[in-house]
Amino acid sequence: MQQLLEHPAVQGGVLPLIVALIFGAVFARTRYAWLALAVAFATMIALTVGFSFSPLTASRKVTLVLLAAALVGVVVDSWPSTARGFAPALAIAAGIVAPWVFLSILAQREATAGYVAAAGIAAFALVMTYAVMRLRSDGQRVGAAGLGLGLGVGIAAVLSASIGFLLSGVALAAACGAMLLVQLAFSRNIVPGFTATLPLGLGVALFAIGSVLLAELKWYFLPLFLLIPAAVALPAPGNLPRIVRAAILAGYACVAAAIPILAAWYAARGSLS
Amino acid sequence: MTKRLFALLLAIVPFAAIAAPETYTIDPYHTFPNFTVDHLGISTIYGRFNKNSGKVTIDRAAKTASIELNIETASVDTGDVEKGGRARTRDEHLRTADFFNAAEFPRMTFKSTKVAFSGDNPSVIEGDLTMVGVTKPVSLTVDRFKCNPASGNNKERCGGNATGKIKRSDFGMKFGIPNLSDEVTLLIMLEAVKD
Repeated sequence: MQQLLEHPAVQGGVLPLIVALIFGAVFARTRYAWLALAVAFATMIALTVGFSFSPLTASRKVTLVLLAAALVGVVVDSWPSTARGFAPALAIAAGIVAPWVFLSILAQREATAGYVAAAGIAAFALVMTYAVMRLRSDGQRVGAAGLGLGLGVGIAAVLSASIGFLLSGVALAAACGAMLLVQLAFSRNIVPGFTATLPLGLGVALFAIGSVLLAELKWYFLPLFLLIPAAVALPAPGNLPRIVRAAILAGYACVAAAIPILAAWYAARGSLS
Repeated sequence: MTKRLFALLLAIVPFAAIAAPETYTIDPYHTFPNFTVDHLGISTIYGRFNKNSGKVTIDRAAKTASIELNIETASVDTGDVEKGGRARTRDEHLRTADFFNAAEFPRMTFKSTKVAFSGDNPSVIEGDLTMVGVTKPVSLTVDRFKCNPASGNNKERCGGNATGKIKRSDFGMKFGIPNLSDEVTLLIMLEAVKD
């Protein structure tokens, strides 16, 4: 049993999937169902590096921010009237938080290079978070986006030498896949709200940035990840059978995710062969 | 009486000079912090850091010494330089946040806190190792130590080997345990040239 728990596929994929399935099913009729993402991610962290926040390294800040974002999402979703201004405000907050997460690395750069990198990081986190939050009323779109983003960022990360961010991405992908299944099982749209989209958008943005700053991913591949939420926003009629619509949206996400993965593969290998 | 005292002082001064602490600068071309880890319980992986610097101070008369070693984490080298069919090498992976986190912690340091002598030579070095932002005490056993006197254009050179063990999880480096062992053996080969 212990050997099984120590396998990276179990730590990053299988157990987060099972945990998210159970959590999502138990809370399917509440507004907390999509907390399954944060719970699945926390499961992966507990099984791999554990919860330790001293010293507060960039990787640990990523964990902290993702879990805090889920709680912020719950609070915002619980607000009596979810005003339209919440999404832009939260996206701007994500843009401010992202450079703070990687401050220890940015501070070691020349002043101008550091500021340029911080501005780029802030812009990417802001746009990614906003792009994912725009999908927040449609559980199938968010599930598909999370599947594509988690796999896209995770596989690009491992091609860039970071297994830690691979496991993080795969854990979120597994959780989003689990929530797609839960929605199919309950034959209903479980509204993700900010509870899912804020940690998902900000989380994958931070995994991708971390793969650039702490591993070997080229910075100019970051915008390619934005193709995934854009692809998932493509038309998918609501009157289609749920399973067909989920498959179409997941297909959009996976095709879009293949682009940054292939780019990272090409950069790592120097050729596609 | 005054003359005798003066003569005695004159006689002591050279010995006092010899007894003063002597400072040496680490020779980066002959100093390599090495490490070994167990891989899958099958074999032992050897690695080392290629870039380092530091100072050594020895006072043989007082039997005291100190050492400060600064190691550039990005210089980690396990001999895995060819990608082959893989996207990345093991050394590239070791530089990421999964292990040495070289972008965030470009240096690790060892600073001695106490050096025990056996005869004229250091035998055990107690010190603090700072790695990935965490400082923990480490004890190194000096297996050999020798100084070669200056000759010709060459300055006096001292050096030796020291070994110790750490648990990388103590430093928060938990990735891959237990497939890649928690216990890491340190083998530090050091040479330093007198200033």
